Amino acid sequence: MRVHLHNHGILLILALIVVAASLGVPGFFNADNIANVVRQSSVLVLLALGQTFVVVAGMIDLSVGSLVSLVVVLAASNAGSEVLSIALGVGLASGLVTGLLVNFLKINSLVLTLGMMTIINGMVFVYTEQSIGAPAPWLVSLANGNIAGIPAVLPLVVAVAGVCHGLLQHTRFGLHLQATGGSDENARHAGIRTNRIIVLSFIANGLLAGVAGLILLGRIGTGYPNAGSGLELDAIVAVVLGGTSLRGGRGSMITSALAAVVLSLVSNILNLLEISAFVQMTAKGLIVLSVVLLNQPPKRAFA
Amino acid sequence: MIQQPSQNDLLVGHGRRRLRVADWAIWLVLLCLLGVGSLLSDSMLRPANLVNIMRQAAPLGIAALGVTFVMILGEVDLAVGAVISVSAVLATSLMQGSSANLFPAVATSLVVSTVIGGLNGSLVAFSRVSSFILTLGTAIFLYGCTQILTGGMAHGTVSPGFREFFNLRLGGWLPVLVIAFLLLALVALVIQRTSVFARQVYLIGANRRTARLSGLPIERTIVIAYMLSGFFAGVAGLALVARSGVSGSLAASGYEFDVLAAVILGGTSFQGGRGGVDGTVGGVLILTLAFNLVNIIGLNYHSQLIVKGLIIIIASAAYQRIGAQQGG
Repeated sequence: MRVHLHNHGILLILALIVVAASLGVPGFFNADNIANVVRQSSVLVLLALGQTFVVVAGMIDLSVGSLVSLVVVLAASNAGSEVLSIALGVGLASGLVTGLLVNFLKINSLVLTLGMMTIINGMVFVYTEQSIGAPAPWLVSLANGNIAGIPAVLPLVVAVAGVCHGLLQHTRFGLHLQATGGSDENARHAGIRTNRIIVLSFIANGLLAGVAGLILLGRIGTGYPNAGSGLELDAIVAVVLGGTSLRGGRGSMITSALAAVVLSLVSNILNLLEISAFVQMTAKGLIVLSVVLLNQPPKRAFA
Repeated sequence: MIQQPSQNDLLVGHGRRRLRVADWAIWLVLLCLLGVGSLLSDSMLRPANLVNIMRQAAPLGIAALGVTFVMILGEVDLAVGAVISVSAVLATSLMQGSSANLFPAVATSLVVSTVIGGLNGSLVAFSRVSSFILTLGTAIFLYGCTQILTGGMAHGTVSPGFREFFNLRLGGWLPVLVIAFLLLALVALVIQRTSVFARQVYLIGANRRTARLSGLPIERTIVIAYMLSGFFAGVAGLALVARSGVSGSLAASGYEFDVLAAVILGGTSFQGGRGGVDGTVGGVLILTLAFNLVNIIGLNYHSQLIVKGLIIIIASAAYQRIGAQQGG
């Protein structure tokens, strides 16, 4: 897999932000704050990794935010030993249903997952209208604790990112995924079972959303039914900022993860500068626009 | 996707999209829903209830009219919800409860909304970035702006007479707001059926490469379509103020996806090149009527979400099937 120039854009931006913030923002460059950024960004990194599978397949999944909410409320109201299987089960089921429906109904994935998002949101609120339960102790220590002096989520997130990167770039599945996203028809003619590849990409996304939901629950400490609201758009923004084209066919797990870290870094810095949430939102919009415009994919012969 | 002339088009003779089953299906579904509703409740078919559904549908419907042109082009506008909010907040802030400020406030809201649409259109037309992410970016930016402007709370006071005018019921039953919705739909329909611009929108949406090779003004058409979307979203913001009387900064947060759902229900697809505002009006009415039905059955708001999601999926699947059968 060749390395495209624009893939380095996000690394450059990350480096610039870290250097500028270390020099100019008091309280940024110390161990506590860096650990804080790592913990804050972990949920979004996992969601960005999952969304990358779907986007490379040429699809989009708007349902992950609601899926995270569902995992949060279910895991908060069940015994600690069961939460992992609940989270993975819910993620698997949702990814499977979405993938199968995309294949059988042949409708645009944006519309389908918009429907799924609405349905899962409804299910979350039918289950509970207010915050319920509390995270299992092991979730709290995973999300907020340290192992050997570093945040406990860091090795988990790095390992997951490594596995995703390996899956996309170094396995037959990854190759077939990129072929399917590049041209579903050509991939099918080449003997790739594109239906199966698409279902697998949605399942991967669902599973990662399940894990992200558990970590989010550990961080917020209660089963808040709106916990995941809007995260699907942040994840898509991270994927695109990372240089992965929404047209599908190619993408990079590493740059998606880095872009998710950049988004979390920016909000951390604006918080340290005590900038109001409203101005932060405006800034985020401007950052999205300027980065996607500066970091455009290479021109194609057609469009 | 390349638009093939369907067998039906050829059989019908004058080659227009109008007479395909897909275009009638939406009204059949609407009739079925009305039928089901009348079985469930005696009050369903009363004029008062029907007019009320139209009144509820007005802000969503007006915004969806403009988005339809953008989607026929094969693009998407996720900034409509934010533009509705901007328009609503601007209007009430400028009115300041005085009728002298009414016209400047309305004019400013509409001009600003149209300009925002034009900026969105320019970004989409002159970059290679997908309209999904571009308009998502402007939406986040604009929501931030409205929050800064209002401090995150309901803001401003409506001019006296503004709400009263739109809620005035002509002949004792037909609110001006509903008439405004129908008139705007008619205007959009006339644009769609008679203008060169609309013809170019369909051709560009059906096959951009061919359109470019044929020398169609692609960039200009994209910018105009987004300006229309901005303008209609601006009017929708005013309609929202007229209906509710207040404008919170997130008044229309989430509207972009309801609008998207309504346009798709109306038979305009993401691939572009087909659909139209007549279908969109049907889609808006179906969505609003479905909520009304769920209310009548007595389900709560949360169950309405589940029904809404199911409707979006089932209707899109149905269109996909009909479209495939007709080769379109």
